[in-house]
Amino acid sequence: MRMIWNEMKKILTWRMLTFLLLVNAVLYFLLISFDIEYFPNGRPALDGYRLGIEMIEEYGVQMDEEEMLDFRRQFESRKEEANEYLQAHPEFAEAGIDDYEELVTSVWDNEERQNLHSQIMHEQQIDLFWELQERSRLIDFHDTKEMIGFEPNTLQQTRFDELLNEGKYQAYPEVVIQNFKEFIVNVGITILFSVVLLISPFILKDRTRRLLDLQYTSKIGRSLYKTKLIAGILSAGLVITVLLAFYFSLYAQNGTSPYFGLGVNAFIANLTWYDPTFLQYIWLCILAIYVIGLIFTMLAMSVSSVVPNFVTLIGIQIPLIFVMLLMGFNILLSHIISVQSPQWLVPGLYGLLGIVSVGLLIYLMRRENFRDISE
Amino acid sequence: MYECRKVIQSPIFLGLFLLFSVYNIYLIVSSSDHKEELKIVNELIDTYGRDISDTSLAQLDQDIQKEMTQLKRSAGLEFQSVHELLENMSLEEQEAYSQEQWNQIQQLAVKEMYFNTARSIDESYAEIDIQATGEGEVRMYGLSGSAAFYLLQEYEKLDKRFEELVKNGEQKQWFFAGKAYFMHSFLFQTVFRHIIIESLLLIVLATALITAYEFEQKTQLLIFSTKRGRKLMKDKFSASIAIALFTMIFLLGITLGTFFIVFDYSHVWSTSISSAFNWEYNFPYIAWWDISVGTFLWLAAGIVLAGGLLISCLTFALATVVKNSYIAFAGISLFFVAVLLLPSFMSKSSILFFITGYNLSQLLLGISNSFMGGGLTGSRNYEWLTVSCWTLIAAGICFVAYRRFTKTDIG
Repeated sequence: MRMIWNEMKKILTWRMLTFLLLVNAVLYFLLISFDIEYFPNGRPALDGYRLGIEMIEEYGVQMDEEEMLDFRRQFESRKEEANEYLQAHPEFAEAGIDDYEELVTSVWDNEERQNLHSQIMHEQQIDLFWELQERSRLIDFHDTKEMIGFEPNTLQQTRFDELLNEGKYQAYPEVVIQNFKEFIVNVGITILFSVVLLISPFILKDRTRRLLDLQYTSKIGRSLYKTKLIAGILSAGLVITVLLAFYFSLYAQNGTSPYFGLGVNAFIANLTWYDPTFLQYIWLCILAIYVIGLIFTMLAMSVSSVVPNFVTLIGIQIPLIFVMLLMGFNILLSHIISVQSPQWLVPGLYGLLGIVSVGLLIYLMRRENFRDISE
Repeated sequence: MYECRKVIQSPIFLGLFLLFSVYNIYLIVSSSDHKEELKIVNELIDTYGRDISDTSLAQLDQDIQKEMTQLKRSAGLEFQSVHELLENMSLEEQEAYSQEQWNQIQQLAVKEMYFNTARSIDESYAEIDIQATGEGEVRMYGLSGSAAFYLLQEYEKLDKRFEELVKNGEQKQWFFAGKAYFMHSFLFQTVFRHIIIESLLLIVLATALITAYEFEQKTQLLIFSTKRGRKLMKDKFSASIAIALFTMIFLLGITLGTFFIVFDYSHVWSTSISSAFNWEYNFPYIAWWDISVGTFLWLAAGIVLAGGLLISCLTFALATVVKNSYIAFAGISLFFVAVLLLPSFMSKSSILFFITGYNLSQLLLGISNSFMGGGLTGSRNYEWLTVSCWTLIAAGICFVAYRRFTKTDIG
């Protein structure tokens, strides 16, 4: 136990921690800050966000037909308000706009009407009209709820029908889940870089300093390699935990907790193989980040055990990270349970990566027992 | 020269180089669906000349009409334009045509598209209001004070340049239709950014390897006590520069070679880069000078080389100080991203907002917009000022690092 702690102290040096802090500061501003500072990002995202909360408060996490009727009734009454607003302002009547319907349908062929439209939407930013626009979008979406929105294969179609039969159709604005998906991928990337930078050098460093000659001839001997691996995994776990805690405390500013109870399939355009609630989905993504982080920790340690120098250490990991950035995060994190990829693919990939990285480490551990360290 | 061998003989360097080259080739080949359609521009230039004039347009119109009457007769249909024909055509009707006929219709449709764009150049250029765009930018970024003043001034200059451009007729030259194919963005943004990032990774790795080699191999006590002694760092510097240069030349050569084999640019080399067809988003590309596509390519390659060499110098300086290639690599990467973000931390009312944009990261990643007006880094002097400032900075840092190294403790 004491040896593990000592090895961990060698990994988590002050110098390394300061460096990680810098890396995270830069990556935070490059990737993450946008999803937190600009949420909801302008309009109609803001109205989608507000309306979603209102819907959850009034109708709960699932909308049946009766509640949908009520939603329509509300739309009509809000429309009345809009009509009153338009009639109270004579410039609209002059431009030939008598009610809300005309405002949204007949506006594009006439410059004067266009100006009036942009005045209430963009310059004055009247909430009522933005809300109406969002409501009408949701209603349109509900009217076409039997259509899947993309070319499905049979399995996707089956899943879609299954959800529809359970009455779980997509009804709630998707701003929150979209924002979360972007946020979590960026957090994933940041944590991946942090972990790889932290873990990569330490086994190699002992070797190039010829420390092994001393260590392996001591009483503890070669089993120290195992201790180092455990220390590496623990340190990575610790760093992942701290970073996740930090980034999620920032995420709390987004105020998405009203949505936590909503099933992820209730969001528009978010068809998934399983139907966890939003909160469960968040936990699942956190788990996924731990797994990705630890897989790359193990890979980094494996590479670190075999390469001759730092440049090779970095060079080998560049393609791995590239693949992860180009496709990996998209499949493994942002579409973790989405119907975009076949149901078996994501668990299969996690399994494969896990087996490869653990297998490599076991092989290296065995090899370490017999290896000639004088080379 | 022995220093260079340290890199050339390391399998990881060659491996990465090959991997990057293969990836670039794949990237280009996999997005070349429209390469046949592009050839129509070559045909247009051959038949009607590079410059679009009223007479050549009339000629083109006549030819299109002629082909269209032929088509009408053979298809027995009545239509105003090929576009209209295609729009109303059902899938079954489509299958009724032979492959040859179908190709002909497609070609005619593309020609018609070029003709329509060419005809409306004057009209669409008259609608461009550079000053208003500038004011829009100021609003979009929320600028005020001296920053807003500076940007508006830049747009005023650009406005003059725009008038001159229109007077010269630089916009009236054939080029691949930007809104349909986005060739400028594909070449100078997608492909060039790949080249830049890949070659920077290779350069930084190679430089760090060479510079910190003796310390990592524990040979520093031996090497630096020889007759040549610490002057060896000078050789290491030259070796790094040479490797950086060769890496970039080869990577540029392989990637761009593939690009121009796949896409036939042979006829458009001397078309102006500010051609009205090179209009991809809501603003055409307006270069500060009358430069052709070919010249622009050379200039862009020049920027890549300059940027790569400067990054190599900076890596050399850092690696001399920290004596460790891992820290040097991580430090330079961090630096590259940090200066990229630097302007966003500056006050939006101060001129610093622009001055901090004069850095290598912005220059290299924004390469498709270099020498162009508009935007935050659209100043006329941006490119050469950035390169020369950073040459001074890099030279200074290298000099200090070397001087320090000659006296430092290497034990």
